[in-house]
Amino acid sequence: MSENLEQSFVKQLKDNQNIIHKICRLYTNGEDAHNDLFQEITIQLWKAFPKFRGESKFSTWAYRVALNTAITLYRKSTRSVNTVTYEGQFHFISQEEYNHEEEEQLKLMYQAVQQLNDIEKALVFLYLEDKDYNEISETLGISEVNARVKMNRIKGKLKKILNP
Amino acid sequence: MEELDLLKKAWKKDNYSFNQVTENEIYSMIHKRSSSIVKWILIISILEFVFWNIISILYLGDGYIRKKYGNEIFEYIKEINTIYNIINYTVVAVFIYLFYKNYKRISTTTSTKQLMSDILKTRKTVIYYVWFNILFFVVGTLVILYVQLNYDSKFASLMQKIHDDTGYMTLCKSIGIILGFMLLIVIAIWLFYKLIYGILLGKLSKNYKELQKIDL
Repeated sequence: MSENLEQSFVKQLKDNQNIIHKICRLYTNGEDAHNDLFQEITIQLWKAFPKFRGESKFSTWAYRVALNTAITLYRKSTRSVNTVTYEGQFHFISQEEYNHEEEEQLKLMYQAVQQLNDIEKALVFLYLEDKDYNEISETLGISEVNARVKMNRIKGKLKKILNP
Repeated sequence: MEELDLLKKAWKKDNYSFNQVTENEIYSMIHKRSSSIVKWILIISILEFVFWNIISILYLGDGYIRKKYGNEIFEYIKEINTIYNIINYTVVAVFIYLFYKNYKRISTTTSTKQLMSDILKTRKTVIYYVWFNILFFVVGTLVILYVQLNYDSKFASLMQKIHDDTGYMTLCKSIGIILGFMLLIVIAIWLFYKLIYGILLGKLSKNYKELQKIDL
């Protein structure tokens, strides 16, 4: 029974891992920290998995737990001091259809998002994932109207960071 | 186009840029130990409950009382001790129940704000427990001091001797030193907690305030 549970969890997490990776990218800035957070999220997901009844999609459930872990439970471990940033670690663009200029612009975008605080990052993540304000408000526990206001402020803030 | 929408377009196609974790790696990950702050709060809280109970058992055991206070006021202290223990264990039971209830409520599947508030509540329970103990410690010491002054002839005559030999001021000073020492202990404990929970909950508290600010 519990082995089945484990198997089903591992398979679903493997298939949905990119959503966790994306959260790790927003909240950490280095490969070690990324892997560290990924592992903590995996542990938290596994702990919460028996309560997951499949009322929502696995990915929806997983990103909620992952966001909560990143914002609330996770403490950067002191052992991983990071000197390598994502710039060297990941190629933001994998397809060749993008040109260099756009790639450069995206890199700057990610750097700008890195400067936001944890809550703002969560809102950005939910926005990028195309979640509506109802879901954003439920995920974070704030009102829908205020989530919308805050999102607009973040857009303004990003614009300011990018075009000083 | 808005900057963020540019990112959004790339975001969706970005799935291939991460090093993919294999099933085996996930298996080994779920058997590793969590470093989540909730786990640390649980560990520290249990240590606190144990610590304060050991202190009260050591401090107020029969043998210790007789040795420290002598036979003359043993009965008084013993009576105080019984009352102390009844109050203490009732309070400990209530606190452990509250703590367990709060701890159980913590779930990563609720909203971020709810999760944070549940964690902070759990921690507050323990902080209240600690303050209760400090207060109890202070009150207990004062009560015993009172009993000694009034019923312990040896202690009273010692005080009288200090008074006669060196004057009223020295007596006041000695009592002042005792009280000051108690205050120092209280401050040290308070700082200790500030430090532990500051390290543990600094980020969480900051983010919680941030979320609260949005809804103001």
